[in-house]
Formats: sequence, C-alpha cells, structure tokens
Amino acid sequence: MGGKITCTLGEVKNRADFIIYWGGNPAECHPRHFSKYTLTPKGKFVPEGRKGRTMVLVDIRETPSAKAADIFLQIRPGKDFEVATTLRALVKKQPVDPALVAETGLSVERLQDIVDRMKRARFGVIFFGMGVSMTRGKHMNSGAILSLTAEMNAFTKFVCMPMRGHGNVTGADVVLRWTTGYPFGVDLSRGYPRFNPGEFSTVDLLVRGDNDAALILGADPGATMPQPGIDHLARIPTIVLDPKVTHTSRLARVHITTAVTGVSAPGTSYRMDEIPLPLRPALKSPYPTDEEVIRRIRHAVAAKPAWTPAPSRMMAIA
Amino acid sequence: MLRLTLQETPSVPLEADVLSPDMLAPLTIEAIRALPVYLGKRQRRLADFFAVGGEAGDEIEIHGDLARVKWIGRAMTRGVLRIYGDAGMHLASAMQGGTVDVFGNAGDWLGAEMSGGVIHVRGNAGGQVGAAYRGAPTGMRDGVILIDGAAGLEVGMRMKRGTIVVGGPVRDFAGLQMKGGTIVLGQGAELRTGAWMNRGTIISLQPIPLLPTFSYAATYNPTFLRLYARRLATLGCVLPYDERQGSYQRYTGDAAVPGRGEILVWRPNG
Amino acid sequence: MLRVTGGTVYDPANGVDGLVQDLYIANGRIVDASAIADGARTIDATGMIVMPGGVDVHTHVAGGALNFARGLVPENQRAARKFLHRGDRRAGLGGMTPTTFATGYLYAGMGWTTVNEAAVPVLSARHTHEELHDIPLVDKTSLVLMANNEFVLDLLEAGEAERARHVVSWLVWAAKGYGIKAVNPGGVEAWKWGKNANTLHAPIEGYKTVTPAMIIEGLATIADDLQLPHPVHLHCNNLGVPGNFATTIETMNVLQGHRAHLAHLQFHAYGGDDWTTMRSESARVAEAFTANPTLTADAGAVLFGDAVTITADGPWQHLLYQLTGRKWGNLDVENETGCGIVPYVYKDRNLVNAVQWAVGLELLLLIDDPWRIFLTTDHPNGGCFWRYPEIIHMLMNAEFRREQVQQLPEKARQRIVLADLDREYTLSEVAIITSAGPARSLGLSRKGHLGVGADADITIYPSRPDHGFLFSYPRYVIKGGAIVVEEGDVREVVDGKEFIVRPACDERIEDYIRPLFEKVYTMSFANYPVEIERLRNPEVVVPEP
Repeated sequence: MGGKITCTLGEVKNRADFIIYWGGNPAECHPRHFSKYTLTPKGKFVPEGRKGRTMVLVDIRETPSAKAADIFLQIRPGKDFEVATTLRALVKKQPVDPALVAETGLSVERLQDIVDRMKRARFGVIFFGMGVSMTRGKHMNSGAILSLTAEMNAFTKFVCMPMRGHGNVTGADVVLRWTTGYPFGVDLSRGYPRFNPGEFSTVDLLVRGDNDAALILGADPGATMPQPGIDHLARIPTIVLDPKVTHTSRLARVHITTAVTGVSAPGTSYRMDEIPLPLRPALKSPYPTDEEVIRRIRHAVAAKPAWTPAPSRMMAIA
Repeated sequence: MLRLTLQETPSVPLEADVLSPDMLAPLTIEAIRALPVYLGKRQRRLADFFAVGGEAGDEIEIHGDLARVKWIGRAMTRGVLRIYGDAGMHLASAMQGGTVDVFGNAGDWLGAEMSGGVIHVRGNAGGQVGAAYRGAPTGMRDGVILIDGAAGLEVGMRMKRGTIVVGGPVRDFAGLQMKGGTIVLGQGAELRTGAWMNRGTIISLQPIPLLPTFSYAATYNPTFLRLYARRLATLGCVLPYDERQGSYQRYTGDAAVPGRGEILVWRPNG
Repeated sequence: MLRVTGGTVYDPANGVDGLVQDLYIANGRIVDASAIADGARTIDATGMIVMPGGVDVHTHVAGGALNFARGLVPENQRAARKFLHRGDRRAGLGGMTPTTFATGYLYAGMGWTTVNEAAVPVLSARHTHEELHDIPLVDKTSLVLMANNEFVLDLLEAGEAERARHVVSWLVWAAKGYGIKAVNPGGVEAWKWGKNANTLHAPIEGYKTVTPAMIIEGLATIADDLQLPHPVHLHCNNLGVPGNFATTIETMNVLQGHRAHLAHLQFHAYGGDDWTTMRSESARVAEAFTANPTLTADAGAVLFGDAVTITADGPWQHLLYQLTGRKWGNLDVENETGCGIVPYVYKDRNLVNAVQWAVGLELLLLIDDPWRIFLTTDHPNGGCFWRYPEIIHMLMNAEFRREQVQQLPEKARQRIVLADLDREYTLSEVAIITSAGPARSLGLSRKGHLGVGADADITIYPSRPDHGFLFSYPRYVIKGGAIVVEEGDVREVVDGKEFIVRPACDERIEDYIRPLFEKVYTMSFANYPVEIERLRNPEVVVPEP
C-alpha cells in the first residue's frame, strides 16, 4: 500500500498540535494516553500544553473519550473506509458526491473543515484503534488512514500510529519480523518463513480447521474466536501456557501455569511505537516462566528423529 | 490424458504445486507417483494421496474433493487441467497459458498474478481472484477468469490487464486499486467496488453502492461494449449492450487517488 | 587448533603480498608455528588464495529502521532466497532486508566476518542489540546517531563544548555503541517540521546559531577528544541531490585536520543542477578527498537491480516517494533522529541510475590509496551486500567494466568518466578495501590482518583465472578459529562478539541529563541505558586517555 508514516510517542508529546483519535476509546482503553503523550503534558514545542492542541475524536458513538475532545465526529457504523477515502480526495481537492458522503453521517462541509484544520496544523497525528482495524474493511480501513497520512505530508507534518491491544502484541510483531521477515501469520511448514493473511492467520486457520494441534501462549482464543474456531480447538490437541486458567484452558488437553510476565518473569516489552522497555520483575513466582517451558518443550522435540524435508526444486514456491 | 483421483482427504492442507501440465507431461507414471507433495510440515509422495492412471501429457484430469489441496496448476504455461471437485487456494497462481476448468468451487487467490491462459470455475470462487499477493504492486497481468457462481473479497485487486467475469454475487472491494483490465459483475457486488482504482473498467449488470469518490458522468451505450460483448460471447458470457434493452450509467473515479477508472452500471429500459 | 598450509597469502597490513605461507591457529587467534601441537587439523590450501575475513564498515542489518523496512516489503521477502531450518541452522530469508540469522549466514558465506551496523538511535538501541544478538557467525560494532540529538544540538548552540563531550560520551555508552554516527546534520531535526538543512552554514530549523557545519566540527572534535577507535562517521548533507559535490567538498573543508569517515561517498559526488543535467563529479571529489589525508570513506556503490533505501535522511526519502510514487516509510525518533524507507530499483536505462552506478566505481578507481576508500554499497541502499563480488569483479577487470559502460544509454556515457579509467585492482588492493583498510579505520587491531595475535578470521578462496567472481564462493571461511563455512555451506554456527566502547565520561553529567530527559522523553530514565547483559559476548574497548 502507500506506506507508514509514524514517529515515537515523544515526538507527539513535544510537537503535535492536532490529534485525531479514530475508532478508539483511549479514556478507557489506554487510560494514560492523554496525560502522558497527547493532550495535557507540556511539550517542548507545545509549552501551553492542552491549550495548544486540538483533539478530534472519530467514533460511531460517544464514549467517555468524547469528553476530552474539542471536536467529536460521529460516523455511522461501518463507514470508516468511506470517510477516510473521502478525506483523501478532499485533501487533493478532488470532487466527491455530497449525497453519498452524507450517508457516512457527516457532511462534505464538515469533512472539508477537518481537512482545512489538518492542513493548518503544524504537526498532526492520527491514532487509530480496533474500531477501524476490526470492522468491515479491516486492513483496508487501516490502509486508508495510512495512505491519508502519507498524502498529508505534502502539506504539513503528519504521522499516524495504531493503538495496540493489551499484552506485548507489538513485541511479537517486532520479533517475528526480524527472525522471519513477517509480522504475523507466519507459516514455517515448508522449512522457511511464508506469509499470507487469510491463509496462515490464526482465526482463519482455526475456523477452517487447517491445523491439527495448537499451542496457545499469552492469548485466549477460546473466548474471542468465532464458534467454529473454538470447536476446532476443542477437537485437536491444544496446549495452553498462561498464568490463569482461561476459556481456552478449559477446552485444552494440557494447561501449564506460568509466571506473569513483567511481574515475576523478566523480558522486554515493545511499546506501541516500537520502543523497547525492559521488564523488571518485582515478585517471585512458584511457576516457571513461559520461556523456561518453551525451552523444555523444544529440547524434548529436538530429541526426536528429524523429519526435515530434503530441499527440492519445488522450493521456488512462495 | 493423465487421470488423478484423490484417495484420501488430507487432514491438513496439502500443497501440490507439482500438479501442472508443465511438471507432469514429460514424466513417466512412476516418476509422477514419486513426486513430492507437502502435507502440513511433512513431505510425502503424490501416490500417498492420488491414484495415478492414464498417460502423461498435456491433458490432466483431477478428481475428488480437493478443497484442501493448494497450488494446483501453479505457473503452468500450457495444456489443459480439468478438476472434478472443489479446488483449494492458489489454483493457477502465476499461470501463463493453457486452460483450467473447475467443475466445482475454487478457494482464495484463484489465478493470482497470472499473465495468460483461461480459467473457468463452474461453482463459486473465494477472495483475491486474479489479485496481487500482499505488498506486491501488480496482480493479474493478462488472461481470462470466468466464475459462474459467487466470489469473495478483493476480486481483481491491483490487476493490470485481462478479464474477470463473475456470474454470481461478489463481496467487498471488487477492483480494489485496479490499474487496468475489465471486471464484469453479473449480479453486482457488495461495498466499495472500484475502491482506489487507477484505470480499468468495471461493468456491473446490477445496481451497486458506490463510494462518495465516484462521480456520475453520463448514461449511454458505449461503442466498445458492442465489440467487447462479442468477445465475451465466445467465452460463453452474455453482456447486454443494445439500447433497445437499456443503457449504462458511467461513473468515474476513484477521486481519492485520483484515478481515471470507470464503473458502468447497466440500467434496463422500463 | 588448525593449520592452513600452502596457501597464497594476502596480508597487506603485514606487507604480505601473495606469498605462499602457512598459518597456525589456536584458541581463536593466529599463533606462531611453535604453539601448534601435532594432530591439529590441516587445511591444504595449496593453489588457493588466503585473505583476512572481510570487514563491512557501513551496513544496515539490525534495529528499528531495518525492521521497519522488513515490514514494508513482504513482496520482496517472497522473492528472497530461502534458508531452510536444519539442525542448528535457523530458517530465514535473504533478499534486500535479510532476517537476522540469514544475515549471518550470508555474510559468512561470502567470507565476511565483521560488520559495522551504521545507525543506532539511543532510544531503540536495546532493539538493535537484540537483533545483533541474533546474527550468528560475524563480529559486530555499531554506531550511535548523534548529529540530530537535541541535547547535543542545544549544547552546541549554547557553546558548551565540554559538556557536549560528556553528554555524547554518556550517550554512546548508554547505547552500548562503538562510535559516533552523524547523518544529515541538522536536516533530520528540520524534517520533524517537514523541512531540511541544505546549507552548511545556515542555522538549522528551530535554532538560532547552530549550523550543520558546527555540528560536524563539534562531533569530529568530540570523537578526537574522546579518542574513539573510529572517527566521526559522517553522512553528509544533501545526499543524492544533483550538484551536491560542492557540499561534500565544503564538508571536507569544515573537517580540516580532524579525522573523519565519509559514508557512502558515491551518493555525495554528483554534479549538474537537476535530474536532467545530473552528472558525475567523482574526479573533483576524489581530488579534494585525496588532499585531506585525515579522512577515510566508503564507496556506497550502486548496483543495477532491486534495493531498499533506508536512511536517517527523512527529507530525502519523502522526495524519493514523491518522485517515484513508491511505498514510503518514515519513523521519527523523539529528540534524537529519524529514518525514512523507500524500496527502489536501479535501472541501467535510467540516466540518473546509470550515473550513480558509474560514480561508485569511479571513486574506487580514482582514489589511489586503497587504505582510505572501502568497499560498501551502503546496504541495502545502493545494493545488497551479498553482491559485493560483482563490484570486485568490475574493479579487477577493466575490459568487463567497459563492456558494462557500453550498455548504458548514450546520454549517460557522456556524464561519466568510467570508460576512461584503466586501473585494475590487484588482489592485495582488494584485501585492503574489503578487510585491512576498514579494520584499521574502525580501530579493530585484531581484525583485517593475519599476523600473530590477530583473531583467526580467515577466508580461503579457490584460485580462478577470472579473479573477480572467485569472491562469490569461498572454499573455506574460518571464524575465530572454527571452520564455519566449507564449499559455500555453513558447517558450524558460532556466535560472534560485539565490540563496544566506553569513553571517558564525567559521571556527574547524568545529573544534567536526567531532568532534561524526564521533561522531553516519555519513559523512565532508568530504562534508557541498555543493560550490558543484553549483548552477546561484548568486548569493551576503553580508549587510552
């Protein structure tokens, strides 16, 4: 797609004067976001703090985050792609159909006003959440915001960033990329990394029943997957590593209780802007760390006879 | 003619990119039986899954429920491949020539990044028909894909040239980021058809919702359609064009790019 | 213990130019013959060429920017060379942005045994070290980005040179780096407001007095005062811009008398006024460079084919995005630096690319002293490191080179001088630009040579009449005394070391930095420095005062 224009959170704190939150509810889901990075702190180049910033909230309903917003844009559910696409056109002064724009819940005039404000900003940022990435359109919704951001740079400084979910999602993404070349949905069954969301991504594999075993670490698909996926997990040998007994544990063959990362287990967590932070455990745990358990499993697997396929000319497959 | 029959439904997806005329035509039956296929992470022999009969050549028939068999016909340049059953993902990916007939359904990524040849699916297809793989700038560069039934998301994504005809309903993002070529939607599509298209033509025989970045241009009967309809008729597809029956409403877009693609929506008279 | 007997040895650092000599290895070092017991394994290198392992003085193989690039181009990964998982060989992908394990296999497979990761932001240095940790078979150094660090810029603006020195020293150690990297001084800071720094003597965006020239001079002085083993490593202003040769020569004037290393000089040697008039000015750059003996440089040569431009020169990448309409990635790092990424293809039909291709080779041929100009492609910016053998071939074979020039468009041939250059590199000179020279420039006294006491990093090539391509397929590669590659296949996987520097620093400078940090950064100060435990096999170099 177009690309990804972003920065670390300190850049936002020090420079951003126009902040858009789209499809997220930071007041409840990222409760320190406003006070640490985006609205209230005094930035190096925004010494007036809150007064020097305009915050726009884009969502399908008024959440508690709206209280902190200067402008609230309520769009109809499932219309994020249309709104972002319209903005892309307006940024380039291209024609749009007012009646069709109005179907998004917002008028052309309203969107044109937003575009004008974006262009007048010294440093704009769009934070987009699961309301964008998980609704109809999925990666294309995210792609629309990424493209809009890249194109805004012809006029002023503009960046965007995904509002990541809980846990170390960003860390998993970063580590997978450096070891396999791909951020998620990595298949290693042919002996080398392959990537194809929809084919190798977890929800799709489980719903189609393409795998015949599962090892679940730090996630609870038994609570979040579509029912066919959950049924499949219950049918196949499933192993869960988790500090707690989860929904998935209840349908698994094996549950191994492990120490809580960050509290009892050390490691590194990657912030949503991909900055690594060391985790310094404060408490001891009677349980092994995830790392210890995985190492022991690997050790046992390595003792089995090898099955590695011989390389063949078929390896040209991607 | 070579005949392959699936004896055992694979428990996990089976990758069988050896199943193409280019790969099989020059081999003996014994050699064919010994070809590698990949069941999940294990390498197996073709004969572990398929009964092999007939004579190797450019004509191949495959029978069985192949919904879990991926990469059939990969990069084929010639010959005739007929599948009696459903086919799995990546059927005829990177195809350059020859023909593929599916008497059943096909999975996602049918004809992805192909550059020649003709594919005809009698049933339904999945998503990403004739599309580019993730991150790649260009999808299908030429060739013909005909689908009698329905199709999924991102049909013709980033295609550059060639023809895709879908008889049944199509889901979101048909013609996404199209660069050229033609898509015919026999029963219309759901949302966001032609999103971010650059060039190319989407012809819908049913009304479809459009993005706000498409502008109405005219209602007319384009001359090229007359010729195009004749061409499609040779492939077995019927495209209305006569002004006595109706006209096309032309929309241009996508202004978000800005692109100079067109969507033609058929409006029957009366 | 190991013996390498009968090989034709090229060890230019010790004056050995193609002599048949035996080498003896014990405990990872080259030793005297008397130190070897009987029963040591012997490699019969009769008829083969023996050189010290390659040293890449400027490459981008680990960290936030490179990893960002990996995510941007899944289609490149699909087409990349596949590395299968096998035993202790990890799965991976080659291509333009290789995965970490594959990076080690690719470098070692080519006979390179030390690499210098050229750009590390302090804030994400922990990430860089995690990736370096996962690159097997080679030793590493890394350079810490300083020329757009706001603490440093603020101190230079205030004229506080001594305090600036302590801050830089503290930051290099906090990042566990090996030296100072300066990229587009002032320009990356200006990019944070969408601007650039095109003029060496104009104050940069957001500042009143500090100019790129002041930053360059300031950091060069600091590197000298701290006696860092490697001088300031500088990516000059105006990279890639037609006419930028003037900036490069002006930069050399600013550096007068200071040690410095000029990175990827090819990208900084263009004449002309715009893209249509762009031409080579390698001769003038080479001349000015030669007249400044305290400078070293690396070529940053371009090869036709795919590349990914990854650079802390944000403004340049935005420009490239606008010119080419290709994918664009950008990541600004608070208070310190930024990076921009644009995948690119160099085409021989393209006038500008043709000139770029010629300029890298011209610089390598026009600069007489191989101890001062080193072989790189600024991987992956100009081309992939695993294509270095192609460049070596062109340096050693004038006729082949001329044939390549003949294939360029007529207009391009008028803009370059490459066809007029007859020089052919000798094997000894190749050993210097790929190993001995960079090792000396990096101040790695145990690298780049085969004398007693050197690390046993040795590459053995089969002898072939077409010398150039022999470099693609070493017969043996020895790393730290272990035979790691045999006939192109990785036989043993060993871990490399990371060389880091601990320059002199007044510890009280932390009291200065901490309150500033807490004001403008977004993490706890305790989390900022990288813990030394993160590094695999660190070797700390403490400069003598």
